Amino acid sequence: MRAILVKQPGGPEAMELVELPVPQPKANEAVVKLTASGVNFIDVYVREGRYKALPPFVLGQEGAGVVNAVGADVASTKNGDRVAWCGVMGSYAEYAAVPADRLVPIPDGVTDPQAAAVMLQGMTAHYLSHDTYPLKRGETVLVHAAAGGVGLLLVQMAHNLGARIIATVSSDEKARLARAAGADEVILYTQSDFEAETKRLADGKGVNVVYDSVGKTTFDKGLNVLRPRGMMVLFGGSSGAVPPFDPIALSQKGSLYLTRPTLANYIATREELLAQSRAVFSMMAAGTLKLRIEHTYPLAEAQQAHRDLEGRKTTGKLLLIP
Amino acid sequence: MQAIRIQQTGGPEVMELAEVPTPRPKPNEALVRVSIAGVNSIDGRFRDGSWRTPLPFTPGQEGAGLVTAVGALAKTVKVGDRVAWSGALGSYAEYVAATADSLVPVPATLSDPQAAAAMLQGLTAHYLATDAHQLKAGETALVHAAAGGVGLLLVQMARMIGARVIGTASNPEKAGLALEAGADEVIVFTQQDFEAEVKRLTGGKGVDVVYDGVGKATFEKNLNVMRRRGMLVLYGMSSGPVPPVDPAKLSEKGSLYMARTTLAHFTATREELLARTSALFAMIAEGKLKLRIAKTYALGEAAQAHRDMEARKIAGKILLML
Repeated sequence: MRAILVKQPGGPEAMELVELPVPQPKANEAVVKLTASGVNFIDVYVREGRYKALPPFVLGQEGAGVVNAVGADVASTKNGDRVAWCGVMGSYAEYAAVPADRLVPIPDGVTDPQAAAVMLQGMTAHYLSHDTYPLKRGETVLVHAAAGGVGLLLVQMAHNLGARIIATVSSDEKARLARAAGADEVILYTQSDFEAETKRLADGKGVNVVYDSVGKTTFDKGLNVLRPRGMMVLFGGSSGAVPPFDPIALSQKGSLYLTRPTLANYIATREELLAQSRAVFSMMAAGTLKLRIEHTYPLAEAQQAHRDLEGRKTTGKLLLIP
Repeated sequence: MQAIRIQQTGGPEVMELAEVPTPRPKPNEALVRVSIAGVNSIDGRFRDGSWRTPLPFTPGQEGAGLVTAVGALAKTVKVGDRVAWSGALGSYAEYVAATADSLVPVPATLSDPQAAAAMLQGLTAHYLATDAHQLKAGETALVHAAAGGVGLLLVQMARMIGARVIGTASNPEKAGLALEAGADEVIVFTQQDFEAEVKRLTGGKGVDVVYDGVGKATFEKNLNVMRRRGMLVLYGMSSGPVPPVDPAKLSEKGSLYMARTTLAHFTATREELLARTSALFAMIAEGKLKLRIAKTYALGEAAQAHRDMEARKIAGKILLML
C-alpha cells in the first residue's frame, strides 16, 4: 500500500510517499481501508519531532474508511463497517490498523470525508460545550480564535445551546465566518482590546466562560473578563504555553475556575467515545452543525497540505484522499 | 462602650480592652448590640498585620446580637431584630455598626452563640459543598483538616448529601472527631502518606473533589489523588500560599479543574446570603448539623482566646461573650 512515512523529523519534505505492506490486525485491532484522512496541527508537531514518535512512522491521527479485516478478539466491528477514529497514528495511508475499541460507526447521513473531518475538532467542540462547561441558555461565552477549526464548530454548538457568543478573530474575513457560524459579537483583536470590548459587550458583568486555545497572549486578560465564579477553559496554546500563575489570582478575580482539558480525557472509555461521536454525527446529519472542508489533496500531496496548513492561509478542514 | 482595641499590630498582647465611643450607624448601616462574637483565624491575620486596616481598630468579623438603631437608608432590618453576621470588622465590642444588608435574621430556634458560631465556617462549608463543587450522592470527597472549624461542618454536610468522605487530620484525637462527624475514613497525615492512602481507599481511581484549606503543603499531592476531570477547591492556605501553578499540570493529571474561592463571592447578593444562612440555620435547628463550640471567653480575655486558637490546642469554635 501507499503511505506517508517520516524517517527523520523535520519540515514538510520529511514526509515521503512510500510503498509499505498492508498492516495485519493484532487480536484487538481492525484494519481499515481509508477513504479520507484528516490533516491536523498535531500532525505538524509530530512531523517536526515536537511531539515524540519513534521514527520511522506513518503520520496522521484521524481518518474514516471501511473495515477490511479484524483481529481474533474483535467483537465491536466487522468487515464492511463504515468507521472513523482519531488519536491513533497511521492514517496518512491506504490502510491503517486501529484498536477496534477506538473505531466508531459512521451513520447514514454522514459521508466518510465529513466523518474524517469532524472527529478531532468536532468531538473537541462537543466536550468543551457539553461536558467541560455544560453551557446553558442565556449564558455568555467568549470564544477565542472563533474562526479556527474548533472555533467554528464551538460557536455553532454554543449558539444551538442558546448561549450568547462573543468571538475573537484576527481579520474581517474570519469575522464574517464567525458571524455566519452564529457569533453574536465579533472582536477583531488586532484592532481593539478584547478585554475592554468584552467587558463592554457583557455590560460590565463579565462572561460565564472563556474558551481559550490561544494561551500565552490571552490568558491574563481572559481572567479579567470572567464574572465571579466563571470558568476559564484553556484547551490549547497556539501563541505559546501559559506560564505558571499564582492561584490567588483566581480568588482575587472572583473565585474563578480553571481547567486545562484534553480530548483524550473525555473519550477515555468506549462509552464516552461513542457518546461524543454519536452526538457530533447526529448534529451533522440533522444539518445543525456545518463543516467547512476547505480542500482535499491526494495522499501524494501531503507535503503541500502541511505547507498550506502551516501558512495559516486556510480557515477550514484539510483532508488527504488515499 | 467596651471594646478590644489594637493600637499597633503584633501578638495577642496588642489586644487591649478599652472604653471607646459607641459607633453611629451610617445611612446604610445598623447598630447592633453584640451578645457574642466569633473568634476566627482571620482575626489573627488582622491583628498581626498580615491583612491591613487603618490603626487603631477593633478586630472581629463575626457575631450575633440585637439591632438597636438603623440608618436612614437601612431597609433590611429594624430595631429589635435578632441578627447575625460575618465580615463586619469591629465585632469584638459591645456595639458594632454593620451594613444592614450583611445582617441576617436569626430564627427563634437558634441561640445567639449557635448563630455566631455558624456564620463564617458554616457558610463556608455550605458554599463548598453545594456550589464551589455541587457535591452529589455517591461521589467521593477528600476533606483536608477534617477536624478543623470548616472541616467538621463540611464533613457533616457532605455526608448529608450522600457523598463518601475521606478526611485528613494531624493526630488520632482529631481523626476521632472527624469520624464522629461522619467521615468514612480518616488519614492521620503525620503517620501515613495521604496520597498513597487516598489511592488505596479509592481503588486507584481517585476522588471526585478535594476540599483544601491547607494550601502549600498539600497542593502537589492533591493533583495525584483526583480522578480524571476531578475538581480541586482551594479555599485557604493555613500552611502557606500555593506556589505558581503550571496549567499544563492540570491537563497531564487528567483534565483537572481547580478553583480558588472565597466566601464573599458566594454571598455577594442579599438573596444568596439569606438563602445560604436559612439553609444553614435550618440544618442546625433540625439537629442535622452539630456545631462544636469549644470554649467561650469574656471580652477582656480576647488575648488568651487568640493564644489558645493559635496554639491549635482547641478543636472547635471559640467565642467571646459580651
